[in-house]
Amino acid sequence: MLRFIVKRLLWMVPSLIVVSFLAFVLIQLPPGDFVTTYIATLAASNEVVDQNTAADLRVRFGLDQPMIVQYFKWISGIVLRGDFGLSFEWQQPVSDLIWERMALTLVLTFSTLLATWGIALPIGVFSAVKKYSIGDYIVTFFSFLGLAIPSFLLALVLMYVAAVEFGQEVGGLFSEQYLTAPWSIGKVIDLLQHLWIPVIILAVSGTASLIRVMRANMLDELNRPYVTTARAKGLSEFHLLVKYPVRLALNPFISTISWLLPNLVSGSIIVAIVLSLPTAGPLLLQSLMSQDMYLAGAFVLLICALTLIGSLISDILLALVDPRIRLE
Amino acid sequence: MSRDTEHGPGERRGLDRRDMLKGLAGAAALSAIPHAASAQTAKEAPALAKLAAEGKLPPLAERVSANPLVIAVEKVGRYGGSLRRGLRGSSDHNGILRMVGNQGLVRWNLAFTEVLPNVADKWEVNPNSTEFTFYLRKGMKWSDGKPFTADDIVFSIEDCAKNTELYKSPPSPIVISGQAGTATKIDETTVKFTFASPYALFLEQMATPLGQHPTLFAKHYCSQFHPKYNPGVADLVKAANLSDWGTLFRNKCGDIEIPSRWGNADKPTLDPWVIKEPYTGGATRVVMERNPYFWQVDSVGNQLPYIDRLTFSISQDVESLMLDAISGRLDIQERHLDTLQNKPTLSQNMQKGGYRLIELVNSSSQQVQIYLNMTHKDAKMREMFANKEFRKALSLGMNRKEIIDLVYLGQSEPHQTGPRPGHPWYHEGLSKQFTDFDPGQANAILDKLGYAKKDAGGIRLRPDGQKVFFAIDVIPTLYPDEVDALELVKRHWAEIGVDIKVNTIERALYYTRGDNNDHDAAVWPGPGGLDPMLDPRDYLAQHTQGSRYAIPWAQWYVSSGKDGQEPPESQKQRMKLYDQARATADLQKRGEIMKQVFDLTADAFETIGICLAVNAFGICKNNLQNVPPKYPNAWSWPNPGPALPQQFFFAT
Repeated sequence: MLRFIVKRLLWMVPSLIVVSFLAFVLIQLPPGDFVTTYIATLAASNEVVDQNTAADLRVRFGLDQPMIVQYFKWISGIVLRGDFGLSFEWQQPVSDLIWERMALTLVLTFSTLLATWGIALPIGVFSAVKKYSIGDYIVTFFSFLGLAIPSFLLALVLMYVAAVEFGQEVGGLFSEQYLTAPWSIGKVIDLLQHLWIPVIILAVSGTASLIRVMRANMLDELNRPYVTTARAKGLSEFHLLVKYPVRLALNPFISTISWLLPNLVSGSIIVAIVLSLPTAGPLLLQSLMSQDMYLAGAFVLLICALTLIGSLISDILLALVDPRIRLE
Repeated sequence: MSRDTEHGPGERRGLDRRDMLKGLAGAAALSAIPHAASAQTAKEAPALAKLAAEGKLPPLAERVSANPLVIAVEKVGRYGGSLRRGLRGSSDHNGILRMVGNQGLVRWNLAFTEVLPNVADKWEVNPNSTEFTFYLRKGMKWSDGKPFTADDIVFSIEDCAKNTELYKSPPSPIVISGQAGTATKIDETTVKFTFASPYALFLEQMATPLGQHPTLFAKHYCSQFHPKYNPGVADLVKAANLSDWGTLFRNKCGDIEIPSRWGNADKPTLDPWVIKEPYTGGATRVVMERNPYFWQVDSVGNQLPYIDRLTFSISQDVESLMLDAISGRLDIQERHLDTLQNKPTLSQNMQKGGYRLIELVNSSSQQVQIYLNMTHKDAKMREMFANKEFRKALSLGMNRKEIIDLVYLGQSEPHQTGPRPGHPWYHEGLSKQFTDFDPGQANAILDKLGYAKKDAGGIRLRPDGQKVFFAIDVIPTLYPDEVDALELVKRHWAEIGVDIKVNTIERALYYTRGDNNDHDAAVWPGPGGLDPMLDPRDYLAQHTQGSRYAIPWAQWYVSSGKDGQEPPESQKQRMKLYDQARATADLQKRGEIMKQVFDLTADAFETIGICLAVNAFGICKNNLQNVPPKYPNAWSWPNPGPALPQQFFFAT
């Protein structure tokens, strides 16, 4: 097992290098560069960049150099000095911009994950066990509804109702007085008070699809001979369900953990934008749109690293949960 | 040309544009609230008075200058309150600039017609407009309490703007005929700008946002990041983990239009409010608080600003900004909301949100300007586009009335380009030629041009057998109305046998195609309606990104003939005339020269316009006072800044 983990960890290094190069190329593929986008963005408000300044910017940001040179400057900074470069747009070190947002993103996504699983798994089990009952139909109806409503629309509707009908402010993760305050118990409580809205919005669609997956998996397992055997041996129904079929039905959930981590960053972008959440998503989108290469590159690199780590975790967990899977 | 106070009688010569924007000039008179604050006796905000009494701040007299700028307010206001505005997440630094960063040497009047004293108390210009002497206010202070003097201006220009390590080429507003001007200190409060050739437009340029360099950098603060004054700057660069001193300097002192201008709370400024919570990559809001050393007072001597603080919330999404607006959480906002599509929603919710609408006079001339690329890389296309008769036929072949009614809800009139109606330089011929809808004549012209043969679909064929077809680049995310207008134009032109493709593209691609001269044609709102001197790109090829009918000609002009392509005679004449106008201080004479430019532009008929640019609007909370009900909407007049937000106040 340990050997397997070490081997996997070593493989990550070349993977990351390849991925970082591809990411850099991809970010550069759209026409124009940061300066073009910068000029275009300002032009959108009929604002003008001094033409001398525009030419200046390209030289200052090294955009006049070949891409391969820019790439090596960037990657050697990361590898040698842990320096992710300077964001063009903000003229701030990229690492300053990324970490706090990543932390909040982690909080949001893990809360969403817990909520999603907490709701979806019992309901999925229930609707499989009570197949074609009234309860199953009701749950199924709502889960399809949840699946059909885009989360950003739900967020917009919620915001509209809250703002126009109740005069409440929905959006953001903190109240006014805690926005820039240092971390404290009060701030954490304030965060929790705001967190549940995006968590519910994000959980709605995730829950729906998970219920369907869980239901289908359970149905597969419920008719297996080992269930019949266990039942014949007089195991209590609840004990039986939890001990065998549920455990096996969880298999697909565990193998999707590797997608889950990158989803941390990219999954909730639109909702985060609508609700003005200070998470990583909006910043990533923004940096891609403005072709702020170093900032976008750092995010993409981070997402790739998370994917690799996630697939490692899911492999390990699978081996632990499912005795049919062997690492060698 | 010198003026002592802004409300002096100020005899104006010749071109009085007062009529043009009558609503603007008498703006505040329309306010319906009775004079309420006459009992005001305080000379400074209560919070500042308290600090001064405790000895934490010098007394008011030592903070404002001996001759502060006196603003003739409509109503004397009361202190207090927090003004809320919205910013977008990315590259919206100019949203802050427009509100507070308007403190150049001089500023615009409300009607956008005349330059008034600001940081400079008065000025003198020599007869041939090569020397400008500015007299500063005695005892004026930066926001940290350090004196503001001529040294600061000389430092900003000579050591910063003209430093090739900081600016590869000096900012255009201080350059004329390829040479940057020189700033010289005469005494503590007098500074002289000298140019190699006449530059009468210098004062107007200094009133625009891009002309703020002279007052941008505080010498006592910014010189610590400058190697000329601090030999140890390399250590600072290293400590900040940056690559060179230029980056460090920009991080700390900013530049006119970059986010980091609002990212450092320690930087001294001359603005009415100073940064408390900076605009950085991770920020969800920006907060500014009053500058205790602000150098402007109202007509009874109260120090401005009236409002304690500004809060800019940062939304990633315009829709959530709309929600803020209709639920009354924005006090004054036009940025990002002012599209025609939003107007019905915002009008409907006026009562619920407790706001009123203010009218913003569009400074542009043209709502949809069609630029056929007259320097097209393909010779056949070039020949077609360069023919004035062809363009005339296209212009006659479009039904402007239908476009105005359907797309612009009837709120415009057929118009080509040129200064807006009511502007003293309004040019009937330029603005109205070929705006009738006359498909018969259009067809006749096209037949005569040799495009008489048609294919099975009714599209005309060129003599070489190719269809008369071209693509028009448009950015749907930016100007959805232009796409709608073009779709109608496509139908109109199909009737006269001309086929176009409405080429909807992303905006960076739009610019790249323009830069590379790869486009057949493009649309953009045509500027130059209220600011024909500052943005004449549609009157002559002068803007290397904006003169999209012939970018290589603009490159030729800007580089004095080194790059680009040599333009035809009519263009060369206009370029010469425009240079001449820029050097002419006398508005009357300048107008006469520009008339010749407009005559030539009308005769050349290079761009095809559809209709007059539609006015924009903004929302303003009902209890926010001293806000003019109507003012220009422009970048050169960076609204609402020149309407002086420092004299806005909240009535209870």
